Amino acid sequence: MSAAQGFRLRLRAQPDFRVDLSPLQPAALAGRDVGEVARLELRHANAHVELGELFDVDALSSEAPELRLEGDLRRFDRIGQAMDGGCLSVTGEVGDYLGAAMRSGDIVVEGRAGHLAACEMAGGRLEVRGDIGDFAAGALPGSMDGMRGGTLVVRGNAGARFGDRMRRGTVLLLGDAGDFCASRMVAGTIALAGRVGAHCGYGMRRGTLVFGGSAPDVPATFAETSHDIRVTWALLSRSLGKLHPAFDSLAGRVPRRVVGDLAADGKGEWLIVG
Amino acid sequence: MSAQAETTSGAGEQAVVRNGVSIDPTFAEAFPMKATRVLITAHNDTWARNAAVAMTGFATSVIACGCEAGIERMLSPIETPDGRPGVAVLLFSMSGKELAKQLERRVGQCVLTCPTTAVYAGLDEGEAVALGKNLRFFGDGWQISKMIDGKRYWRVPVMDGEFVAQETTAVVKAVGGGNLLLLARDTDAALAGAEAAVEAMRAVPGVIMPFPGGVVRSGSKVGSKYASLMASTNDAFCPALIPLAKKTELDAGTRCVMEIVIDGLTEADVSAAMRAGIDAIVARGGEAGVTRISAGNYGGKLGPFHFHLHKLLGAEASV
Repeated sequence: MSAAQGFRLRLRAQPDFRVDLSPLQPAALAGRDVGEVARLELRHANAHVELGELFDVDALSSEAPELRLEGDLRRFDRIGQAMDGGCLSVTGEVGDYLGAAMRSGDIVVEGRAGHLAACEMAGGRLEVRGDIGDFAAGALPGSMDGMRGGTLVVRGNAGARFGDRMRRGTVLLLGDAGDFCASRMVAGTIALAGRVGAHCGYGMRRGTLVFGGSAPDVPATFAETSHDIRVTWALLSRSLGKLHPAFDSLAGRVPRRVVGDLAADGKGEWLIVG
Repeated sequence: MSAQAETTSGAGEQAVVRNGVSIDPTFAEAFPMKATRVLITAHNDTWARNAAVAMTGFATSVIACGCEAGIERMLSPIETPDGRPGVAVLLFSMSGKELAKQLERRVGQCVLTCPTTAVYAGLDEGEAVALGKNLRFFGDGWQISKMIDGKRYWRVPVMDGEFVAQETTAVVKAVGGGNLLLLARDTDAALAGAEAAVEAMRAVPGVIMPFPGGVVRSGSKVGSKYASLMASTNDAFCPALIPLAKKTELDAGTRCVMEIVIDGLTEADVSAAMRAGIDAIVARGGEAGVTRISAGNYGGKLGPFHFHLHKLLGAEASV
């Protein structure tokens, strides 16, 4: 069999336990043949399973490293974890740790993603077209720093602790966010087109939240500033508009600005357009 | 002073005459410099220009100013990062280190201080030097960093709101010291010709004419009878010294000479500006009073860039 740059993996059977798909890296698999890919060993609970036992593998005629996963992958975790280049697309739902610590490349998931997606993501672009679970764009368990680069776009709703401890990068959420959105945020930008749950910005130290949809309730630990921020807003709103059409109209509007969390340095800001 | 010296004619070459203007068979000699472009925006044209004028003040020659700087052109809102009116400024210096020092001082004292301004890098490729990176400390801890589209900006709280500055700008290799000498029958004609040439040259992107109004009347030669001076008046082009100097390039009908010095981001930019200046003088014709165009050089031994006037004209024969 000849080597290929890209592969299509169609789920043939649901595994009995959760499977770790982190070995599936588009750049690392490029240049291999179908047989080699099918023989790849994956962690399956506390044992191993060959990829070919779960997926039908086909070569793609891609010119760049690419992986297409098809099927209901809710039991498959760590898809695109630490990914460094190439394209990975999923038609279906995925498990936890999607794109965790990814450094570059492009991931698109057509369905829902589980918990801890984009945790400690450092670069590249990750788009989830469905909902996303808890702790997205946050820190991995036991770690102090959350997402630190790249762009995350979520078209659906997000769970709790969205952007917890985030310290760099840009996140666009087109749906609603759960409780404790941007809690303990250190830096970066989160743009929200929907509503947020309770305790948004709890312990936020720096960073920017843009409310393009409905206006949130401003907590008592945030204070309004009234100075002219049109320059920063022009730079930021244009950038967000380029990232997704849902934020196109921001540039023509002037936001309210509140700063906080005053209990944690108070250099974070909310730019409220809605 | 400008850093130019005597005109050297090629052996046996004839001047080209165009529309009554004689163009010498000589060349301008230019030098490598380091340069950067910054974009200054403000609430309106007036304040953007105020900042740019202040920032490019006392920046006519590296001989004593540390850098040569000027306004490249005004920018419309659609051309600026923040959608406000702006000005593109070019700075040139002999070393990247000196350029970085001049940039920081001038932005700090002239742009940071000017109402409503913001400052951005005007070049993407090149060695990064600090723009807002150190000026941010004026914020005394209240400054905020913001990464937008992969670029870091500093937001420094000031009394009119925020001063926004991109963290770095790029420094590139450039060309300094392209020049034209305009020889005229009198002061009025020399000024009118020089003004027309400068206006035409300002339309060329990537160049500045750093002297007042783009024109220098004190062209210089290397060295002096006084040991402490590195440059002195270009006696070969001083009308007052026609009967006195050991060597003069002027005839009795030339009573005023003006020089235009050009710094550009590339050799092609300087060529284009010099060509535009020559064309403007030629279009006015010798009847307008500028009867001859020459250029300053050091015999071709010091600067690697030689801008031959006849090559710029694309002509070798008299008309």
